Amino acid sequence: MAIIDRPLAIGAGDDAVETVDRPLGSITRPQESGTWRDWLTTVDHKKIGIMYGAAAMFFFVIGGAEALLIRLQLATPNGTLLSPEVYNQVFTMHGVTMIFLVAMPMGAAFANYLLPLQIGARDVAFPRLNALSFWVFLFGGLFLNSAWLLGGGADGGWFNYAPNSTVTFSPSHGIDFYALGLQITGVASLVGAINLITTVLNMRPKGMTLMRMPIFTWMNLVVQFLLLFAVPVISVALFELTFDRLFDANFFNTEAGADPLLWQHLFWIFGHPEVYILILPSFGIVSEVIPVFSRKPIFGYSFMVASGVAIGFMGWGVWAHHMFVSGIGPISVAAFSLSTMFIAVPTGVKILNWLATIWGGKLRFNTAMLFAVGVVSMFTIGGLSGVTHSIAPADTQQTDTYYIVAHFHYVIFGGTLLGFFSGFYFWWPKMFGYKLNEKLGKTNFWLQIVGFNVTFGPMHILGLQGMSRRIDTYDAGFGFEFWNLVATVGAFIIALGIAFFFVNVAVSRRQWIAAGKPNPGPDPWDARSLEWMTASPTPIHNFDEEITVDAPDEFWHRKYGYDTEGNVVRKATAEEVAQDGSNTNVHLPSPSYFPILLALSMPIISYGLIYSLWLCIPGGMLLVYSMVGWIFEHPDDPNAAHDDHGHDDHGDAPDELAAGDDEGELVGVGAGAPETEATNG
Amino acid sequence: MNRLTPSTRKVVRFLALLTAAFVLAACADNAPLDTRGDNLQGPEARDIESFLRWVLWIAYAVFFAVLGVTLYAWKNFRIKTEDYEDDEFPEQISHNNTLEIAWTAAPAILLAIIAIFTIGLHQSLNSNSENPITLDVADGAGGATTVEWEPEIVVVGQQWWWEYQYHFGDVDLVAQRVETLPNADITTATQMVIPVGMEIELEITSRDVIHSHWIPSLNGKRDAVPGRQSAPWKIQADEPGVYFGQCTEFCGLSHSRMRMQVVALPEAEFQEWVTAQMQGLELSPETAAYVAELEAGATVPPANAEQRAIDTFRTKCASCHVLDGVTDGIVARPEEQLVSGAAPNLTHFATRTTFAGGIRNVYETDTGEFNRNDIAQWLRDPASIKANFTEPVSETDSRLRGMPNLGLTTEEVDDLVSLLEMTAPQEGEFEMFEFIIEETGVE
Repeated sequence: MAIIDRPLAIGAGDDAVETVDRPLGSITRPQESGTWRDWLTTVDHKKIGIMYGAAAMFFFVIGGAEALLIRLQLATPNGTLLSPEVYNQVFTMHGVTMIFLVAMPMGAAFANYLLPLQIGARDVAFPRLNALSFWVFLFGGLFLNSAWLLGGGADGGWFNYAPNSTVTFSPSHGIDFYALGLQITGVASLVGAINLITTVLNMRPKGMTLMRMPIFTWMNLVVQFLLLFAVPVISVALFELTFDRLFDANFFNTEAGADPLLWQHLFWIFGHPEVYILILPSFGIVSEVIPVFSRKPIFGYSFMVASGVAIGFMGWGVWAHHMFVSGIGPISVAAFSLSTMFIAVPTGVKILNWLATIWGGKLRFNTAMLFAVGVVSMFTIGGLSGVTHSIAPADTQQTDTYYIVAHFHYVIFGGTLLGFFSGFYFWWPKMFGYKLNEKLGKTNFWLQIVGFNVTFGPMHILGLQGMSRRIDTYDAGFGFEFWNLVATVGAFIIALGIAFFFVNVAVSRRQWIAAGKPNPGPDPWDARSLEWMTASPTPIHNFDEEITVDAPDEFWHRKYGYDTEGNVVRKATAEEVAQDGSNTNVHLPSPSYFPILLALSMPIISYGLIYSLWLCIPGGMLLVYSMVGWIFEHPDDPNAAHDDHGHDDHGDAPDELAAGDDEGELVGVGAGAPETEATNG
Repeated sequence: MNRLTPSTRKVVRFLALLTAAFVLAACADNAPLDTRGDNLQGPEARDIESFLRWVLWIAYAVFFAVLGVTLYAWKNFRIKTEDYEDDEFPEQISHNNTLEIAWTAAPAILLAIIAIFTIGLHQSLNSNSENPITLDVADGAGGATTVEWEPEIVVVGQQWWWEYQYHFGDVDLVAQRVETLPNADITTATQMVIPVGMEIELEITSRDVIHSHWIPSLNGKRDAVPGRQSAPWKIQADEPGVYFGQCTEFCGLSHSRMRMQVVALPEAEFQEWVTAQMQGLELSPETAAYVAELEAGATVPPANAEQRAIDTFRTKCASCHVLDGVTDGIVARPEEQLVSGAAPNLTHFATRTTFAGGIRNVYETDTGEFNRNDIAQWLRDPASIKANFTEPVSETDSRLRGMPNLGLTTEEVDDLVSLLEMTAPQEGEFEMFEFIIEETGVE
């Protein structure tokens, strides 16, 4: 690649001539090639969203395989499939993978793809930063899992309590990979949070006030704020851990007087908001799916929004309920017991509002709806068992038993994951241009929900019978045999259900191609929000022209109105209302090499920290190079075909670029012009 | 479609069977760690369960209400077609603020009621009553003395076993870290012995990582945090018996094999136990003389198996383990050998009925015979019973975690097992011992 030239002074007048051969800065931006290489340099939020989803699915398969190993080991007493050493790594990596590499990025996948569409924007506020988020996450996840090939994964549990996580007690490199890997994925979350918050707050079209935003957008806005404030906390904890392990610091060295509860507080101040980071995107999805398939607006929109925001705030005041038996003192325990109890109120409001939305509706129970309704019931179980933990005295019996394992799987699997599957079936035609097969989809759903209950239902009983978490085996005679076997059978039913999803994708795609790729139309479900107001699959530029919003569910209100008697009548068809994506005259942010290069430097530096500090030098050089290149990268690809909109030349200053576009080109989708954003991004 | 299709019916039947199985299993006995029902033998555990039970009833009611509404909606509001007709609209109700406020307030009020009872229970679990008992104890100078003992036991977790310390002197246990505590009057491992019907205060701490001390049939758990004494936690057993426990905070490799037991004895038997624990090992006069010579630094060839065992113990075991009467002149320095810095005191090994972190029995539960096989296996190859790290921590840190494989010969193992058997209670010394052996069996 080219050397970095001294950048030309911006606005230096006519002397600073920028030509095709000598662009401002030095790196020619990559161009669309129509091949797989586009995916490496893309800054398109839709492509990035899809890559997020695909990567999360990849890690989901890994985490799922780990889960099956755990269940096989525990199927019978004195299991010998895994040694205690390996078992400890497997359960640790199962948790870390499912939370940080599946549930969080899958939420990011939906948020990336849908947030700009739902608010009618061209892209996110900072497209290159968006690409950076994804690549950083992917490389962080791969780095974390590379530990398997380099001596074994982390073995301290996902919560990784000190001082069991220090070198003395875990001399292998597993926990170094944990600390650095999560640090890297934390960067991804932070960058994404800043990007999406800016997008939602600044790029809404005319008329879309905050209280007209779809609930999915609202919930994700809350999530991004949670990430923005929660991730720094775990970053601090991980830095301390890294320094302890690699440079002999004493943050968690109890022999030197450290208090190991420091880690617990830091971890759970992050860790509890994290729970809401995992669940709120799913709440958002359910709140989109249920109204569409009930043919009713969401019941109590403002209460749904308010309860989500309330959860976001209250989520910060409950972390110590993870520490009821840590010996934090009876007053703290009492206070956190109460705060935890009352966080059930806004969650309950959501459940009741969903039920009220279903009530009296015209319900189409297709796969997306089944998954969404599944969330309502299954999450209720998780929420109610959560209330039983909030009773601190009861928690002293329950905590660190399988009762807790049951609880959080009902929340994260029954709430988050089922919600994501609902989202897959719902938005698949919008993303890929074809619907998933309903028959296979329903098989997928029923296997998954039955398998889920057969696996995790019995864990409530096991926990109350006194089976501890994180034990690699158990003896006969404690009454654990039967339900463990049942749970193992259930886990394989889940695996079969998930397999049906993959089969469904393959089969549906093949059928669609065989049928000559029929277009599902912009609005295959008779839906309500703006993402359905453009062609399927979403055109590269999202919308042909800016949408002015007059109401929540804007798209629905353009299709339907009320007659004088208050009955709903159709005003227009979806095809008439929706934009057809035919506008080719739209100026889009150009792809860039730098996000992926910058992301790549992070695992290199991390390997260096673990194995040889010398490796940090090339890693650091790549980091600095990418940052500098990023800064001086030309705001646009000068070679790209801009002839469409009649420019002979580009202005020198970015603001001129933005302002300079006149004829036909849409500048103001959202409050900010995409060009400007790309420049700053 | 309004009637169930055959496949749906199958699902429903399956779910019904599953529910039935759930109900049956909820009554399963033979679960010595169970937090419910007949397994509970302490007032704290029972209070917790009875409160939880009625909260669970509320939870069931809420869940079945949600499920019921969903199923009702599924049955009554479902349409059969894949797409909507243009005029097929339900009433477009978007909100009802009265309803919203009602169902925000109702759970809040319900939770507030639960909260009040929670705080009450929490308060009672965290309060301690004073009820000292009188004990005859050895005064350390060969005589006996009487102390008022406020039942209070120091519980120390380490990878991967529990130590229990009894201090009869006037020591402020709460204020001190385990490293600075004076030598305990009784130090035992894996099996805590308590007087029955009495509130016992536990001062729980750890020597290495965080563990959690949990005897589900008596009370909830409390973490053992290194460098801290937990706020006092208490247990009480109503009936004499053996109560099982399991470390419940993940503590590394053999976390699953870190178990413990509480033996509750009537006050008189507890006194017997205390008296026995405060005596050293009784040796024959010849053996005592042999030990005395060894203590004096002489090199004496052992005359019999017992003396051979003592010699082996002193050279191979005494760097970590204490056996009063045999290792008196040797200062055990487990802190140089082990990361946790402690190894079980073996003076009264055979007065306990469980070893190896509570996963093997010292006596066969069916015959009551000394379990020579398991103990020999433990001495030969500890990792075959309880996984541990046989390698030192690092190149610069030679400490081990767990009992190492000492490469003992068959004869040495046999001698040591016999030596350990000598620590058993003498005939008629401890009436309830048979009962404890029986109760130790899990099955």
